[in-house]
Amino acid sequence: MIKIVKRDQPSRAIFFFTPVLAIILTLVAGGLIFFILGFKPFEALKFFFIVPIADKYGFSELLLKATPLCLIAIGLSFCFKSNNWNIGAEGQLTFGAIVSGGVALLFYEQEGFYILPTVILAGAIGGMLYASIPAILKTYFNTNEILVSLMLVYVSKLILDYLVVGPWSNPEGFNFPETRQFSDSAKLPLLFEGLRIHAGIFLALAAVVISWFVFYKTYLGFQMKVSGFSLKTAKYAGYKGKKMIILVFLISGACAGLAGVGEITGPIGQLHREISPDYGFTAIIVAFLGRLHPVGIIFASLVVAITYLGAETAQIFMQIPKYTGQVFQGMILFFLLASDYLLFFKIKFIGLKK
Amino acid sequence: MNTNLKISNVTKIYPGCVANDNISLEFNSGKIYALLGENGAGKSTLVKILSGVIIPDEGKIYLNENNLKLNSPLDAKKNDIGMVFQHFNLFETLSVFENLIIDSDEQRESVREKIDAIMKKYNFSVDLDIPVLNLSAGQKQKVEIIRCLIRSPKVLIMDEPTSVLTEQETSELFLSLKKFSDEGILIIYITHKLKEVMQLCDEVAVMRRGKLVSVSEIKNENIESLANKMVGQNLKTIKKKKAKTSSDQLIKITNLNFTSEDPFETNLMDINFSVNRGECLGIAGISGNGQSELFQVLSGEIISEKNSIEFNNNYIGDLSPQERREYLMAFSPEDRLEQAAIPQMKIFENVALNNFKSSNFFNNGLINENKIKEHSKKIISDFNVNTDNIELKSQFLSGGNLQKLIIGRELITSPDLLICFNPTWGLDVGAINYIHETLIKINEQNKSIILISTDTDELLKLSDKISVIHKGKLSKIMNSEEVTSEKLGILMGGAN
Repeated sequence: MIKIVKRDQPSRAIFFFTPVLAIILTLVAGGLIFFILGFKPFEALKFFFIVPIADKYGFSELLLKATPLCLIAIGLSFCFKSNNWNIGAEGQLTFGAIVSGGVALLFYEQEGFYILPTVILAGAIGGMLYASIPAILKTYFNTNEILVSLMLVYVSKLILDYLVVGPWSNPEGFNFPETRQFSDSAKLPLLFEGLRIHAGIFLALAAVVISWFVFYKTYLGFQMKVSGFSLKTAKYAGYKGKKMIILVFLISGACAGLAGVGEITGPIGQLHREISPDYGFTAIIVAFLGRLHPVGIIFASLVVAITYLGAETAQIFMQIPKYTGQVFQGMILFFLLASDYLLFFKIKFIGLKK
Repeated sequence: MNTNLKISNVTKIYPGCVANDNISLEFNSGKIYALLGENGAGKSTLVKILSGVIIPDEGKIYLNENNLKLNSPLDAKKNDIGMVFQHFNLFETLSVFENLIIDSDEQRESVREKIDAIMKKYNFSVDLDIPVLNLSAGQKQKVEIIRCLIRSPKVLIMDEPTSVLTEQETSELFLSLKKFSDEGILIIYITHKLKEVMQLCDEVAVMRRGKLVSVSEIKNENIESLANKMVGQNLKTIKKKKAKTSSDQLIKITNLNFTSEDPFETNLMDINFSVNRGECLGIAGISGNGQSELFQVLSGEIISEKNSIEFNNNYIGDLSPQERREYLMAFSPEDRLEQAAIPQMKIFENVALNNFKSSNFFNNGLINENKIKEHSKKIISDFNVNTDNIELKSQFLSGGNLQKLIIGRELITSPDLLICFNPTWGLDVGAINYIHETLIKINEQNKSIILISTDTDELLKLSDKISVIHKGKLSKIMNSEEVTSEKLGILMGGAN
């Protein structure tokens, strides 16, 4: 007989164990899906999760994909910890990229040490501006931030589309939907010869450290935490709850904007139509898989980044459709939410009674 | 016809707590039974078992020798057991009549006739066709009772029915209950108020920590004996020494108004009062008459006109709670779990919510954890909070311990004025005594208190002056010796 018993207190060990359990279950279910589709499950999983990162180039690609996921998820963790459901990071990423790309184009064929910091800053500001829309609407007009932030994603994508085919398109570009190449001074430097990994990873690492410090060590972080648990308590303690809401949105927007900067000023060096394979949405999974904790988010972003790479490898070597990558991302979130049940309940195996 | 209800060896175990430990009780119609116990004694669990909300782990229930299987509230209804819960289960926006027929499968007209007959018989006057939200608490309770009576129950269980009623409404309720009992309905009355047991009931069963302590006839008991059984120890009675009346004014409220945009809030109209040093001003009233708004205006959660509040010769009406704390005010809100503390946070983090500048909890924007922890340990030992682990999440503290922590947190800055709102709401007698002693001590140290409370006994025990709030207006301020609970009841009901 199996009996389900409510836990007196959510267990801390289980808190960190469930993400691991979710990943294991995802692998099992993934293998099963491959088997049903007629592939050899172990081979497919190998191409999905091991082959892509078996060499130096693969590892660099892993970090390249993990960087924006980590950055955005760190930003989102501020929102989610304080119960603000910003799911429009993809839009904030896009808008950040538009603003920073615009600034980079202003410096077309110019060189100077000041250009890159300006471009990066512009991206952060762009993301913040875009995130401030749902924040202000939520705090002053009681709109639902989920809806507003989500809808703004599509708006930003259309703006980008318009710019790259219209006013900002490369005059010598044979009508391809892309802008001119940014000058070298506007691009994030590559870290190693022949690899695509760029200095954006330092932005992500800095975000991890800063977010940990702010959230766990400062008065500001304490106020955010309190406001997130209960606006009533925040008010009673004398904190400015509404300002806290706007602040977490701005932080989140800035991080997404920076991720956007990394995408366009890294190896690509121009604005084009598809700057992000939905990093902004996938980062939501990363944030929760990492338990909204900075260190957890680092690991989670690496795990989820593999699904992007694995999907491509599996398509190339085994003709498995690359959309299985998204299936895997979905499964991770699904199993994570499901195994969170174990946080509050434990399963007891007891002998047959009577 | 006689009704006999028997509870036999009922046990219900929750993780970490035995809510009902092998309880056996027998009830017969014609009598009114009290089920008495502190919060957490297990009486609610027991009546929820009787009404089918909770299924017991072991034990049986017999109604007239028939073994009942109560797997849902519907089963209880089918077996003629009616229950009126402490918190009303009514749809506010539906009319009274719609609320009454919602679980009935009979014809509307015949139910209406039935309702009219019931109302006539028991002298209830409730307009059937207005929305429930326009009713007073007493009337809402009548609707709940009528809803039970429609099914002509054999057993009627009332769970703490007087917590929202005025003195007058309470005596009306008692009259009705006696009438029901005379007509052969078996009445089980759950409460922790001893006075009511003495007034109303014939027999009393006392529960403590999940166990049945005693069953006895009321005529063999008195308030003290019941209290001792309930708490399990001899209680000392607290008496407040009359404070030397000082004329040194500490806080003065002048022409304070508050108009809310929220239709469910109460507007405050032209509030005027003052409190001297060493004095306790009690503010009585039925909940929902503007107490919460008044508390928020006084604490600074709602900002008012600068000159409307004068504290220690400073005008502070436009200051935030944090700024008011710097002037040595402290606040203990009504809602312990949603406002005064955050259950998911640790004890010492909750202590940091009272961020008083000289306590140095936060330096240059950084958390000074050592300082907070040091402070928390002091509160825990000074205020008898029953734990030594300040890393414990505060959700694992009992209500009494949490309230001690909150009061301790507010008092550790030794404020000149403590404003508290229902500080002992839902606490057990031991914790109530402790809080009351603490509040008396504050007055003895020449500090002042504004005590907003719905508990009249508490107000009469602790206050030097009393005023009553009704629909956002304060009555004139009276000396507490001149006031009786009957007089307060009349004022609370809105009469002059």
